[in-house]
Amino acid sequence: MSSIAKGTQQNIRPVRKKGFWRTLGGQWQLMLMSVPMLLYVLLFNYGPMWGWITAFQDYKPKTGLLGSKFVGLQNFQWLFGREDFINSIRNTLAMSVINLVFGTVSSILLAVLLNEVRNRGFKRTVQTVTYLPHFLSMVIVVGMAQNIFASNGAINNLLMSVGLVKSPVFFLGEGKYFWWLVGVINVWKEVGWNTIIYISAMTAIDPCLYEAASIDGAGRFNRILHVTLPGIKSTFVILLIMNIGHLMEAGFEIQYLLGSSVVMDWSQTIDIFVLKYGISKQQYGVATAAGMFKSVVAIVLLIGANYVSKRLGEDTLI
Amino acid sequence: MRKLLSAILVLAMILSLVPMALADEEPITLTVFRGDPGDQPADDNKIYKLIEERFGVRFEFEFLAGDLDEKLGMMIAGEDYPDLFDGGNSADLIINNGALINLLDYINPEDTPRLWAHIEPQKARLIEKNEDGEDVLYIIPNYGLTDGDQIVNEVNGPAFFVQKQVLAWAGYPQIHTLNEYFDLLQNFLAANPTNEDGTPYIGFDILCEDWRHFCLINPVQHLMGRPNDGEVLVDVNSPDFHTETFIDKPYAKAYYKKLNEAFHNGLISKDTFVMNYDQYIAQLSSGIVLGMFDQAWDFGNATAALKDAKMDKNTYVALGLVYDPEYVDGREIEEHYVNGSLPNVRRGFGISVNCQCPERIIAMWEEMMSDEWQLIFNWGIEGEDYYVEDGRLLMTEEQYAQRNDSTWKIHNRALAFFESSPKKQGWILEGEYAGNCWDPANQPEIVLGLMNEYDKEFLAAYGYSKFADFVNPPIELAPYGEAWQIDYTPVDVEHQDFLDIQDKMLPELIMCDPADFDALWDEFVEKITPSATAFGEYMWQAVQAEAAKVLGE
Repeated sequence: MSSIAKGTQQNIRPVRKKGFWRTLGGQWQLMLMSVPMLLYVLLFNYGPMWGWITAFQDYKPKTGLLGSKFVGLQNFQWLFGREDFINSIRNTLAMSVINLVFGTVSSILLAVLLNEVRNRGFKRTVQTVTYLPHFLSMVIVVGMAQNIFASNGAINNLLMSVGLVKSPVFFLGEGKYFWWLVGVINVWKEVGWNTIIYISAMTAIDPCLYEAASIDGAGRFNRILHVTLPGIKSTFVILLIMNIGHLMEAGFEIQYLLGSSVVMDWSQTIDIFVLKYGISKQQYGVATAAGMFKSVVAIVLLIGANYVSKRLGEDTLI
Repeated sequence: MRKLLSAILVLAMILSLVPMALADEEPITLTVFRGDPGDQPADDNKIYKLIEERFGVRFEFEFLAGDLDEKLGMMIAGEDYPDLFDGGNSADLIINNGALINLLDYINPEDTPRLWAHIEPQKARLIEKNEDGEDVLYIIPNYGLTDGDQIVNEVNGPAFFVQKQVLAWAGYPQIHTLNEYFDLLQNFLAANPTNEDGTPYIGFDILCEDWRHFCLINPVQHLMGRPNDGEVLVDVNSPDFHTETFIDKPYAKAYYKKLNEAFHNGLISKDTFVMNYDQYIAQLSSGIVLGMFDQAWDFGNATAALKDAKMDKNTYVALGLVYDPEYVDGREIEEHYVNGSLPNVRRGFGISVNCQCPERIIAMWEEMMSDEWQLIFNWGIEGEDYYVEDGRLLMTEEQYAQRNDSTWKIHNRALAFFESSPKKQGWILEGEYAGNCWDPANQPEIVLGLMNEYDKEFLAAYGYSKFADFVNPPIELAPYGEAWQIDYTPVDVEHQDFLDIQDKMLPELIMCDPADFDALWDEFVEKITPSATAFGEYMWQAVQAEAAKVLGE
């Protein structure tokens, strides 16, 4: 035993003592392979960051990046002085959280249920049927939703016929429904797709654990609770951290398509705000400032979630 | 072998240089952007074939999909401009960002006599001064430079519309005021809640989507007896053209109170506030919408669909409504919906700074302003699309009907190009066809001769000869033109706030409990006053400047 350990140590030690450049030289093939990726990231992710300078400028396309006037933090002051920008931050976060909670809960639930189904044909059919909407364009999905939720649409007809409401509910035109509508539509569209990753995590669970649990007298419910769910915990945490990094992106298409002027206070997200003022109204500086704010918050959230996860003794992403 | 190869290469290189020397004769493809949605022409389109044969020019069209300002903003940010650039209703954006060339560098009485003669009568309105004080013209208007007396057979602009069957049911009454209009709709709906198929009628539609929200926010100025000044009301009788936003004024309150009443009487559906343009057109096309405020060109597709389906009684008549005296301190308001002709300033094709061959486009337009080409664009090919009898240009019923057929159009008309190009309108003044109209839709024999039986009987019941008789004859505009054409980009952000508050709160006002209306209206006025003041003051100055330009002060 000890001689093997010694031998291994000897093998490792010289490598460790090599300098940076020698290590680099020793792995030049690997380095070469990573060059395209590095270039890609530098060119398309770091390169455009130069454009963040417009956040501090009164940018005009005519005068360009170098010729536009610097205005300090004026763009940020303007942004945070606007009620509709504050509203869009609120809407973005609210819809993100709703999407995250609804999306995660529904897909884990469906994954667990599918995992328990023993009939392969039925399981596959359900899986296919639930993930197909993922491939539909949001334009179509929203078009369908507009019909279903209209005053004379299917939902209102149903509610009226069973006597739950007396007059049609104005789902599409009242702000208070908007966030939840977005949540429901997103679940309908994405539940099957999001399930795939959890189901694959479940297939990686050692069947012996289920057997052992059965022998210990665990019923189906207890097996789910004590084997399946702990088994996908690490997947769940990684996905959660990634999703928290995307918390400032509540989606764009669905709010853009489903929203209308009457629900604007509740439907406008940061992305739509940026489009409206930045692109349509030529306030490029303001738009960049808003985008920059969004990125900074996203980085803080990501690192924060990672830190919390680490402190709780869970897997981390970075 | 190698020598042969190099010889071929050298030859190929020389040959490839030759066309550059003869660039003017070489066929070119022009990229074209249209600031509105449209149909791609078919590859075998006969008019584009003629253009290609004669001028060696092909077109690659891009039509608007989605929001215009967003699209233009993207193009400006990337300086990614087509050769021929129609910025639609937001051409101010591309002009202010320096995307278009000054056409006056190419257009003058010597080199381009036809184009010059075309713009000359209206040059006070068309030619502007740039920052350096030079004369500039960026866009030759696509419409509104007409020859001869103005032709108005039907209203093509804003009006309150009502289905013909509603007037027929009521015994062909005269409807001139807001109250008369809503009483009429109310009575019809009470007597006929559904159509023959059992589908419920909708009393009054209000389209609120995006820039088409003019259906929601513009009516007040018309009820006050003014033409379309966009979002302001101009007092043309005051020496300094007093200009104010109207939406925050007491006289506007009366209209929205009326709509609130109509809403609670079941004339207006909630869904109208969240529907998009396609849904609106679908609703109108199905014939269940009894009335709405809109501009006739905005729902042309619905009208065509109704005619196609032989639902003539469901097509619309334009009414020129004004406020009843009770709403405006007992004043009698004179209706003014139809204008004297006015060039469509800053609308149509401009040539972008990226275009490699502006002189060639100008030369082509110059040639296209000839009678021969204007007839081809307007009427088509003689013998195929129209015929001539005793010097009159005529169409058979079939020939005229196919002009409404969208499939036929993409094969046989060059609309995508022609609609935004300079064109002759009105009467043909000279030549062998003098006395005919440039547009077949204006030609008396066609308008009256090919009118369907329902329309003929309908007009006869009123004793009118044309549908434009429902409104006052054209009234000459004040020197500033129409204020909706004025560039407001300097107050763009204030204007956006101004519109946002209206888009959000006017539907609330229409739907709210009548008991809360007054309080909500006060809140609306309070919220909108800052942006309304900023926008209104800017517009007042702009109206004065525009008037001064035309009056030559």
